[in-house]
Amino acid sequence: MLNFFLIISGKFISFVSRFLNLGNGSTWPGEVALSIKSNFIKKIIEKNTLKIILIAGTNGKTTTARLIQTILLKNGYNVFQNAAGANLLNGIASSLIANVGLNGKINKDFAIFEIDENTLPLILKEIPSPDFIVILNLFRDQLDRYGEVNTIAKKWKDALKRLDEKTTLIFNSDDPQVAFLGNESKAKVSYFGLDNKNVDSEYQHASDSTYCPNCQTKLNYNSVYFSHLGDWNCTKCGYEHPKKTFTSFPLYPLLGTYNQYNTNAAVLLSKDLGLSNEKIKNAFKDFKPAFGRQETLDINGKKAQIFLSKNPTGLNESLKTIAIHNAENLLLVLNDQIPDGLDISWIWDVDFENFITQFKNITVSGDRVFDMGLRLKYAGFRNFQTEEDLTKAVNVALEKTAKNEILYILPTYSAMLEVRKILTGKKIL
Amino acid sequence: MKNLSLTIGWLYPELMSTYGDRGNIITFQKRCQWRGIQTEVLELNPGFDAKLLEQCDFLFMGGAQDEQQQIVAEDLIKKKNILKQIIENNTPGLYICGAYQFLGRYYKEADGSIIKGLGILDIYTENPGTNAPRLIGNILISTEKNTTLVGFENHGGRTYLGEKVKPFGTVIKGFGNNGNDKTEGAIYKNSFGTYLHGPVLPKNPEFADLLIKFTLEKKYDLSINFHALNDSLEKEAYNAIAKRLGVKL
Repeated sequence: MLNFFLIISGKFISFVSRFLNLGNGSTWPGEVALSIKSNFIKKIIEKNTLKIILIAGTNGKTTTARLIQTILLKNGYNVFQNAAGANLLNGIASSLIANVGLNGKINKDFAIFEIDENTLPLILKEIPSPDFIVILNLFRDQLDRYGEVNTIAKKWKDALKRLDEKTTLIFNSDDPQVAFLGNESKAKVSYFGLDNKNVDSEYQHASDSTYCPNCQTKLNYNSVYFSHLGDWNCTKCGYEHPKKTFTSFPLYPLLGTYNQYNTNAAVLLSKDLGLSNEKIKNAFKDFKPAFGRQETLDINGKKAQIFLSKNPTGLNESLKTIAIHNAENLLLVLNDQIPDGLDISWIWDVDFENFITQFKNITVSGDRVFDMGLRLKYAGFRNFQTEEDLTKAVNVALEKTAKNEILYILPTYSAMLEVRKILTGKKIL
Repeated sequence: MKNLSLTIGWLYPELMSTYGDRGNIITFQKRCQWRGIQTEVLELNPGFDAKLLEQCDFLFMGGAQDEQQQIVAEDLIKKKNILKQIIENNTPGLYICGAYQFLGRYYKEADGSIIKGLGILDIYTENPGTNAPRLIGNILISTEKNTTLVGFENHGGRTYLGEKVKPFGTVIKGFGNNGNDKTEGAIYKNSFGTYLHGPVLPKNPEFADLLIKFTLEKKYDLSINFHALNDSLEKEAYNAIAKRLGVKL
């Protein structure tokens, strides 16, 4: 009876918040439900038989969820997921409220939840036996909020130990710390990774896990795909990257090496569900990126493409990817609100020095516009303009972009929401 | 001026560089370069030859994750005597967060167990336990020379100063060494220990220049007057934080 009440009131809150354009409909109903009944998620899930897919990792959660959703939808399954970025317990509870009937039944085949790093151990208490857990990677991100990479890895390992055989783990073999997580679990593990020879010769500065997770000796890499992801082995204890069952696909719907990983994860999971390459490929033909993740917007005949870039690895990879596409116009937006992380030190771990001659126009904005400006100055850039007012910055950057060119926008999380609102006139979260 | 050239010893860049601390090295080098001073960086990773320390005119070490700090501890303890001698001999150095704690006498874990430090700085650090919050946020301090500095701190340990060191600064906004006594960091001879990340040097160019000056004066035994650089962007970045912390400019 309580559930019934929570579902009704949650749906009502969601409606009101959307109606008034308050922009928090994806977390608020769940927040209220959980505050009244803390095991709300568990109780709803227990009553249903749908398959559950959890996706965790520092970078690529939303895109991977989107890829899996696209594959499943195009192949005739009923699917729902939590709103992009609403990946704490309140976001998951909210998505349940939106999709559950008043009888407590969810009329869907799959739930896909992207899960925040700190929330993964918590959700596994509510959903102790999910069908799949995808773990993409573990990079340095928001140290003030998450703590250091090793701290998260430890929490995850403890949580994953409690799983049973019912769960299939889809793990990145190229990330030493992620690969190591599979070691002590009863769940079945399948590994994805890369095998192309398109390799970086050096580590980027922001690499985190170049030491063996088993014995703390420096790892040997036969190849590095980016950051600390690659074909690694420990010369001391002999621990090495687990055998990868899946490494390449004929069609990648998004740019960038990091999206090859996201795609490989989604494809490996889909193949495990019995879908053929052909069916997956057909689904990808209609793929549309999630908002802010390489999403392209048309603005008065010019194109703006948004690459969410929220940590050193993410920003490095965005810069590399747009450089390959001869990007000339760049707008960097650095915020330090709670979803971005309060500490912006990380911009000094980004290898801006590699892109000195790349851009014709650079505009910088955001809450920490001058910090980003300083980073560029000390990297050796001269041709950048700082503009505190984000709307002005967007206009300036668009003005400098020629008609047939693309403005590449690299914002942090809250900055991405703000930029998008300016460009589309609509709030999304 | 004759050709000036400085060697920077960067202790454990692969392990002790979790919080953008590389920005301090970049800033030190660039501000030298803009004044025609050459710099070279020696990256000192585990297993490095201790004699390299004697070639360094300036030392830098940043913060790290716990496990990585252990690898460093095992290596650095073997080089303790040389490092101590260099610091006693007035070689300038900047030691941030984990490195700062590590130079002290000891670090007391929440369970009471004691991890010995290098004992070069007369300070000690205690972890008050998992119930006490980490000290996180933007910070503004004033130093003896009436300059103010901004940074970002993020530490669980509380550090207390002994008699042989002076505080680096006084906390105006933020937590500092321990959140209680308003001290921040420590100075011993020409070595500076601090909790200020951010990184600290880009937004505080006077402090960066002071370190460069100390380093040149120690190496070349001359008194130096720098020509001013255009620091307007540095000022704006500093002011943005000061303003946000409600400190009058």
